[in-house]
Amino acid sequence: MKITVVKKMKADGTLCRKSANVIDDLNRLGLIDQIDEFVAAEEHEPTSQGIALALKHNVDAAPFFIVEEGDSTRVYTTYFLFLKEIFNQEVSEDDEIAEIMAQNPDLSFI
Amino acid sequence: MQLDITHLALEYENKDPQEILKLALDKFDRISISFSGAEDVILIDMASKIKADFNVFSIDTGRLHPETYQLLDQVREHYGIPLEIVFPESSEVETLVKEKGLFSFYRDGHQECCGIRKVRPLRRKLATLDAWITGQRKDQSPSTRATIPVVQIDAGFSTSNHKIIKFNPLANWSSAQVWQYIVVNKVPYNTLHTKGFISIGCEPCTRTVLPNQHEREARWWWEEAVDKECGFHKANLVRNESGVAR
Repeated sequence: MKITVVKKMKADGTLCRKSANVIDDLNRLGLIDQIDEFVAAEEHEPTSQGIALALKHNVDAAPFFIVEEGDSTRVYTTYFLFLKEIFNQEVSEDDEIAEIMAQNPDLSFI
Repeated sequence: MQLDITHLALEYENKDPQEILKLALDKFDRISISFSGAEDVILIDMASKIKADFNVFSIDTGRLHPETYQLLDQVREHYGIPLEIVFPESSEVETLVKEKGLFSFYRDGHQECCGIRKVRPLRRKLATLDAWITGQRKDQSPSTRATIPVVQIDAGFSTSNHKIIKFNPLANWSSAQVWQYIVVNKVPYNTLHTKGFISIGCEPCTRTVLPNQHEREARWWWEEAVDKECGFHKANLVRNESGVAR
């Protein structure tokens, strides 16, 4: 299994807030070493590898997670789902709902 | 069921809402229309002309306007459908209100309250379905809905074991087209619309707007705009796609 995390690098060279939070959390959980590759999607560099991956997988926000296993590739845009399904981590419903809402701001309008 | 959603989205992008709705109702048995009590009522009218038995659900957050509750009952009777009302978990609402009062959203933002009263029950309902139908339109929010396809995999609520498909038959319709449909087909509508409301949600979080104000200004007006810091700029994706990166 190969796990790639695509993070967003802002124009000022710092990570976007969610990418930074995810990396902090992976460190806290002791899972950072199980990530095979971190790829940057650079805000002011449309040719960056991370932007190319976002385009390839039709993803419009960072971070996202690519899990390759044999011939299959799974792309997770939800961090907590990735944690739950790949690392069997316990995730609270509060955290899941908060992330779903953050990624889908229009849900509040349903 | 295996459907090529990307292909379907392209194939149906320029089709009428009725054709998209028919596709959805033909392809899925476990499918339901999400009815918010606003202009999306036209989906129910369209569905009633496609088949007799179809499912509709609404989420009662407990904070809706009286006019919205009246419309829910009116729709149930007008179309003779068993409109399903989905409620939040009472224990979660009780805890929120006990800890933070009835108007915490004005202080802490609307997400927590919406999460408990709307998104959690929605997720619970969607776990019983394979697909759902919404009234989302591109013209409702240039910032967050400008690119919504007519059909998509619902990434927010799908899991590896259970893919949920979301149909947005009205994606390409304007507000004017919706209202023309309502008038021509004599569809029952929320009387709040006659009082200046163009976006209808929970009573404490919805207000009327002035002429030429966007309908999104009618909701959560005390909060700042959506944080888009982590999104990929569309121009970057387009420039990359044009071959710059390859």
